[in-house]
Amino acid sequence: MIALKNIFKWYNVGGNRNFILKDINLDIQQGEFISIMGPSGSGKSTLLNIIGMLDEASEGTYIFQDQEVFRLKEKQRSQLYKDYIGFVFQAYHLIDELTVYENIETPLIYKDMKSSERKAIVADILDRFGIVGKKDLFPNQLSGGQQQLVGIARALASKPKLILADEPTGNLNSKQGEEIMELFKQLNKEDGITIIQVTHSEKNAAYGSRIINLLDGRIDTNTTL
Amino acid sequence: MLKNYFQTAWRNIIKHKATSFINIFGLSVGMTAAVLIFLWAQNERNFDSQPDQKQIYRLTTRVPSIGWVWESTPLLLAEAIRTELPDVQKTARLNTNNLPVVSLKGNLFYGKDYAYVDDDWFSMFNYRFIAGSTTAFNANPFSIILTKSEARRFFADANPVGQSLHIDSVDYQVRGIVPDASPNSSFQYKAFLPISALLTNPKIRANDENWDNANYITFVKLAPGVNMERATRKINDVIKLKGKASDNVPVSMISLSDMHFETEIQNSVFNHGNKNTVLIISLIGGLLLLIACINYVNLSTAKAGLRAKEVSIRKITGASRSDLFTQFIGESFLTSLVAAVITLILVRFFLPLFNELTGKDFDFRYSLPILLQVSGVTLISSFILNSIYPALLLSSFSPINVFRGVTILKVKDNTFRKGLVIIQFIVSVILIAATLVIYKQMQFIQQKDLGYSKSQVVSFALPFTINRDRKNALLKTMKQELLAQSAVQSVTTSNQPLVNMGSACSGCADWAGRDTSLRPTIAQLSVDEDFQKTMDLKMQSGRWFNRNTSDKHNVVLNETALKTLSIREPAIGQQFVFKGDTGQIIGIAKDFTFKSMHDKIGPLVIFNNADWRSYFAVRISGNHTREALAAVETVWKKNLPEVPLEYSFLDEQFSELYTEDTRTSHLTLIFACIAIVISSLGVFSLVAFEVEHRTKEIGIRKILGAPIKGIVSMLSADFVKLVFISILVASPIAWWVMNKWIQNFVYRIPINWWMFAIAGVIAMLITLITISFQAIKAAMANPVKSLRTE
Ligand SMILES: Nc1ncnc2c1ncn2[C@@H]1O[C@H](COP(=O)(O)OP(=O)(O)O)[C@@H](O)[C@H]1O
Ligand SMILES: [Mg+2]
Repeated sequence: MIALKNIFKWYNVGGNRNFILKDINLDIQQGEFISIMGPSGSGKSTLLNIIGMLDEASEGTYIFQDQEVFRLKEKQRSQLYKDYIGFVFQAYHLIDELTVYENIETPLIYKDMKSSERKAIVADILDRFGIVGKKDLFPNQLSGGQQQLVGIARALASKPKLILADEPTGNLNSKQGEEIMELFKQLNKEDGITIIQVTHSEKNAAYGSRIINLLDGRIDTNTTL
Repeated sequence: MLKNYFQTAWRNIIKHKATSFINIFGLSVGMTAAVLIFLWAQNERNFDSQPDQKQIYRLTTRVPSIGWVWESTPLLLAEAIRTELPDVQKTARLNTNNLPVVSLKGNLFYGKDYAYVDDDWFSMFNYRFIAGSTTAFNANPFSIILTKSEARRFFADANPVGQSLHIDSVDYQVRGIVPDASPNSSFQYKAFLPISALLTNPKIRANDENWDNANYITFVKLAPGVNMERATRKINDVIKLKGKASDNVPVSMISLSDMHFETEIQNSVFNHGNKNTVLIISLIGGLLLLIACINYVNLSTAKAGLRAKEVSIRKITGASRSDLFTQFIGESFLTSLVAAVITLILVRFFLPLFNELTGKDFDFRYSLPILLQVSGVTLISSFILNSIYPALLLSSFSPINVFRGVTILKVKDNTFRKGLVIIQFIVSVILIAATLVIYKQMQFIQQKDLGYSKSQVVSFALPFTINRDRKNALLKTMKQELLAQSAVQSVTTSNQPLVNMGSACSGCADWAGRDTSLRPTIAQLSVDEDFQKTMDLKMQSGRWFNRNTSDKHNVVLNETALKTLSIREPAIGQQFVFKGDTGQIIGIAKDFTFKSMHDKIGPLVIFNNADWRSYFAVRISGNHTREALAAVETVWKKNLPEVPLEYSFLDEQFSELYTEDTRTSHLTLIFACIAIVISSLGVFSLVAFEVEHRTKEIGIRKILGAPIKGIVSMLSADFVKLVFISILVASPIAWWVMNKWIQNFVYRIPINWWMFAIAGVIAMLITLITISFQAIKAAMANPVKSLRTE
């Protein structure tokens, strides 16, 4: 599904190249559940953003579903991630002015889906996540765990093949974190959704099928559990 | 999708209530000003419009030898050219020199704004009849057609057609009702009478049928495709043929579409507009709209930082740049639309005030189609101004930058926004400076020593229809009777009121030592012996006229006459011939202001011939105004029961000279207020956002020991700089504009640098007050609290 070959990423800082990622080579198959670990500043988020096509590598090749991503035009690329990828963030990143329902609905709107279709999908997800009763609340009326649940629900609404989660439990207590991890495991097992998450916790990392350790922008270890 | 956008837009408005309110309110105020101004400008530019406007012309009489240009022509001209020239489809004449006297329930009054017109007047100018028609009007001389509101005045709600009105002691039948004149018509008349009624008076008829007398305004409608110059030549041929005895005074034509902006007519009966004024006022309207839109643009870009997260999330969940662009365009359209609706409400509310200011009579319901049109244009232009830049900026965010916490303050385009604030304050400062200069000039006019005393003097005129003997007798008896009243301090008679003297004569005077090539135009004032005392004129030398007849041929000159006519010294006792009357110069009066201050005081001859006089001026003793007016009324009724009395106070007449200037001064003040209010609203919310962005910084500075003063000045410094730049740019522009304006006055104040300095100080103070509201609040806030919310 994903193949990264010789990926480099650098920033020019005062004439110097400041390398963030160095020669990353990585293959990810459909249905995997991968945890990326590593110290702060090691380039985990950068790598995830490149995979999610929010950022571009400075050098290297990225093949997603047999397409060479960096060769694609901006439009085609955003079409690609619209269709295949859902994002989950540490800070949830819900739109404060929209209700739970409307937040989940937003990606569907940009897919030009009919209103009745949207309704059905959102209702289904609300039901599945057990947040039907909260659908008319605004994000600031929810607890962190609930917000992250909505964040995941929104990512799932567009039926992605791949979910990218950058420290999804970073702002949650351990009980809430566990629930989210269980949810990921379930999505991965039952729906066959590929999941790549960044995490600091060994315990959470263990939910995955493979752990990749980054150190100073390089892949240090790559362990299949 | 729309619903989603609408909801975010709406909830955003609610979330930032104060700034949203300021935003929409400022925009509405700007739009209201613009809509009203454009309504007026549109009205000015479409004066007298009708489908065949291009075919209709008004004849102009020219007397090149003495530079006279009149809009009136001989009575018989219209008929002559209509019968002689097939190119002329129709003619219509107008006479407003004769004021009919209307009696209503025993009260007499002049039918002001009543016009004598031809049969074809109504078809020439497409009058729509609400009731009746022209048929009977044309058939019977003693007919009258009323406008709707004039009809209501006489007959309330009863059907007026067929009723009669007592006019000039004859009964006139009401033949029809037409709508009130629309604000874009030159013909603001309330009633129409047939010219044939006027001509039933044998004296008028004899006078007007003379080809040398031009008392009628003639309109012609040319057949389609007829060349105007050729038609003019042909009309002049007809004049040569018909007006045998006359000097063949040539006429020219002006199109009905150009008549409103005509400038060359002396003493026009129509209200004319001025193209430059329309241009300047429209420009101001545009600028007010612009500064209101600037607020919107600045606020939305300032808010961009707060919206960045939403934009980024939308992008990541699949929104394309064009989706976001549409969203923000839609949002600014929504805001503009809300503002437009509020604008219509404000327009409705302020229209009466606006009418008072402009002297127009716009009716909301009647003007609604045009209002909607103008509002539509205003809405679209504000929408365009409002949408493009913020939408581009907002849709251009890169989501990872936002999530990575790259501060949006770097994204916000500071220079652009500062430039816009500078534009706002340039406009504001110019308008404030203009207000100050105009105010100073108006104050100068009010306070200038006129050389006479204008308060507590009431004046009225004997009708010019009575014959000379009766008039001279009335001058004597009425003066005696008035003087007998205790409320009357003194009474004088003259040929014109002295506030604005138009009467002048060229080459009518001769004196010892006159340069024979000199034929100066000299103002002429005929007065009685009490004029100097009543008006409180000061003498430079010599004396005023005596009570007996010994001064019958003598004159008094003003100082300017003494100088410009180069009278030999000693002036007193020199021979002076005026209109063939030989006498002596008996006195020199100090110059007094007998014209508006737009015009120069020229040489003046004051003489003593009673035949000329018909004006009374009554100085009221103490504050017995009411008693004095009653006395005037009694005396008048006793002597002239058949004529309505019309009086006015001298200081009113004086103010009327400056009606236009007063209007300009009021409008400028209002424009300046709007500009500065909108601009400070903008500054207010920009500071609010600044504070919001910098809460953390302010908190840290306070913890590190920064004093409140320091924080306030940190927040103010930027804006103070901007306003300062605006003052520097605005001052020379304002100086240039106001210098042009003040050239309209011969007697004027010097324009001083401190007027612009004061304008600058006012703008600066208003800005500082605005800023300190927010800044002090932010500086006083508990830093621990603000840091916790970060
Ligand atoms: N726009 C940027 N310019 C320069 N350096 C950057 C930029 N974005 C990220 N970095 C640097 O890249 C490094 C890796 O960042 P990141 O991928 O966020 O690390 P992680 O998620 O592993 O903590 C950090 O040292 C960070 O400072
Ligand atoms: Mg990170």
